[in-house]
Amino acid sequence: MFDPRTKLLLALGYAALIVASTRLSGSLAEGGVLLLFIAVIGKTRSYLRWLRMALPMSLFFGAVIWWTADVQIAALAALKLLTLVSVFFVFFSVTLPEDLGNALVKIGMPYIVAFVVSTSLQFVPTIGRRIRNVLDAQRARGIPLEPGWSALRHYPAFLGPILIQAFQIAEALAEAMEARGFGRPGRTFLNDYRMRTRDWLAISFGLLVLIACFLGRHGWG
Amino acid sequence: MTAPLWVVEADRLGYAYRNEDANLALDGIDLRIAAGEYLLFCGASGSGKSTLCRTFNGLIPHFYGGRLQGEVRVAGKPTAKQSVAGLFEQVGMVFQNPETQLFNSSVAREIAFGLESLGFPRAVIQERIISTAQILNLSALLGRNPQELSGGEQQLVAIAAVLAIGPQLLVLDEPYANLDPVSVRRVRAALKAIHQKGMGVVISEHRLPHTVPDVQRMVALQRGRIVLDGTPEQLLAQNVERFGLELPLPVRVGRQLGLPRLPLSVEALQSLDLTAPLPSDLKTVPPALPSDAADIVLEVERVSFDLNGAPILRDISFTLRRGESLAIVGANGAGKTVLLKHLNGLYRPTRGQVRVMGKDAGRVKVSHLARQVGIAFQNPNSQFFKLTVWDEILVGPKALGLNDEAWLRELVRLFRLEPLLQRPPYRLSDGEKKRVAFAAALAHRPAILALDEPTSGQDWHFRSILGSLLAELRARGQAILLVTHDLSFAEEHAHRWLLLSHGQVVAEGAPWKVMSDKAAMDRAHLEPTDSFRLFSADGRTLAGAVPRGGGNHV
Repeated sequence: MFDPRTKLLLALGYAALIVASTRLSGSLAEGGVLLLFIAVIGKTRSYLRWLRMALPMSLFFGAVIWWTADVQIAALAALKLLTLVSVFFVFFSVTLPEDLGNALVKIGMPYIVAFVVSTSLQFVPTIGRRIRNVLDAQRARGIPLEPGWSALRHYPAFLGPILIQAFQIAEALAEAMEARGFGRPGRTFLNDYRMRTRDWLAISFGLLVLIACFLGRHGWG
Repeated sequence: MTAPLWVVEADRLGYAYRNEDANLALDGIDLRIAAGEYLLFCGASGSGKSTLCRTFNGLIPHFYGGRLQGEVRVAGKPTAKQSVAGLFEQVGMVFQNPETQLFNSSVAREIAFGLESLGFPRAVIQERIISTAQILNLSALLGRNPQELSGGEQQLVAIAAVLAIGPQLLVLDEPYANLDPVSVRRVRAALKAIHQKGMGVVISEHRLPHTVPDVQRMVALQRGRIVLDGTPEQLLAQNVERFGLELPLPVRVGRQLGLPRLPLSVEALQSLDLTAPLPSDLKTVPPALPSDAADIVLEVERVSFDLNGAPILRDISFTLRRGESLAIVGANGAGKTVLLKHLNGLYRPTRGQVRVMGKDAGRVKVSHLARQVGIAFQNPNSQFFKLTVWDEILVGPKALGLNDEAWLRELVRLFRLEPLLQRPPYRLSDGEKKRVAFAAALAHRPAILALDEPTSGQDWHFRSILGSLLAELRARGQAILLVTHDLSFAEEHAHRWLLLSHGQVVAEGAPWKVMSDKAAMDRAHLEPTDSFRLFSADGRTLAGAVPRGGGNHV
């Protein structure tokens, strides 16, 4: 519906709002709006799965802050981190990596840079599968790579195969890309990346909301 | 008479990879490929097939570097003077591993990528996506992420991505290596359709039964040189075994019967009006059954397994005895590897029980179960991290505290690893890597040896070596579990089959008993082996054609 650049600007604007929050109630409200949006776009299940990774990370961050400051600041910090990463969960749920990359090419980013970013994101599940396979293969040989501190002692058994496979994937990928004309000048795109009226309206509306929120928090003068 | 239009011409072509100057991967190749030809490059692993394919689209020398001698011309122009990006319009290439050649977020975008590179207008790109998807029956998948598709579908998407560009020649490097029989059938049918539309097709492959019935011409390579070139009938009438190639069974039957025209497929043989009986010595003989008194080492009792709420395995039961070889067969995605991972506790059953040497595997740690169950997974690269083969083999025994030097020396002899011991495992050929992984799985003398897709992508030479290794291990009382979709290998090297479909056992028993259950085989999307179809009464009935005089060998 919107150009990827519009979505990126809106996500960055919302992230700025979250970062600028100074009160727990404000952060809770921002998180609530995000949850509502996630429900509306039908991503609740994948968000819950994703939370299994993001929530412990936020709690750990909060615990570190608690150690150095008080509990309120720690709770605010943990919540801000969680909502901040949730913004980018939403962004990547509604934006394909190569759409973002191709749209950025339109505003001057070199195609190779955009391609590397979008393809890296695309291969995250593949690398994830390879990691799982390495863990299984090594555990099947009696190497205790179960989650925990003891696994750290055996890091070469894990890192060695993963790094070598990552290089192998990169080489095979580069070969496949070359064989389909990667880097040839005069590239066109399947999708039309154009800023339309609705994009400018959305950006203007987002900007107004951002200004209103900042003014609301810090007074009208 | 007009001269044929050559798409590819190679004159005195030689090539050495970077840093391997003394070792020529290609040597003195003279070759012409005409427009619209369907050609097979065959030869054992390391014969130069894949290297030769990569010279056609300029990946060699432009991507790989190295030293090129002689010349390759595509549509009359030397490839050395053109870039890969300039050549891909004429020569489209599909690689062996579908997973690492698909890098877009949807099938439609994957097909569009090459067209975008060529700078086509959007309307043309959209039109080509639709028409190409129709040819390959991919229309329903256009919005799907290629990484979520089956291996066969991924390979078709990779073909579509090249086909959409409309090259003169489609080159496929071992396209069937990682595919199950269902996917092989789909890709073969697609390639036939593409060829019938007039496009030239070149396949590099060492498994002949999948390819010889389809192609017009075969070129056999050995140590980088062309050793034979002709029609399949001409080549297969010669002693191609000396080049590491396995003759398809119908061809062997035809040769033994002295047929004037060699049948290239079971169907071709069955369509002949034969009067002589089929030579029974060509029938696959399963290994001799171990004694019923042999100890049971593995019991799987009514195991079910759910993953993320979805049922993956349903109510599976079987046992395995010492000296017995059991094959878990089924198409990709049937649940074979998931079942395998239950044996050493990598997965725990949702319901039911796995007992290894009489003990409930659900209550034992993976590192303890590893003492009894040695598993070699499909990709050996997932386990190598030591600098030498010898150290790699020692990893398991050291981790488990079960180091038996005499047994390790015996294993090295058995797996013919002496010349490789001081070499880095990553630098070995695929077949050598597999042998190291199998030896590593056996290094701590587990009661059960489990091999996951052991023949995937391997040539006849490797399969023969593996076959004799397994026979020797069985004779020593080793319990073996083969997880495979290679039914010919499983027929020859397993006493019993467990046929899986969608996580359920749909048939169980001796290989021919399982294959005679047509409903189960259909459900599992598998076809009986050539041996079964030719030599068993059930097979011939299933095939719907009975060669006269061939019924006395069951």
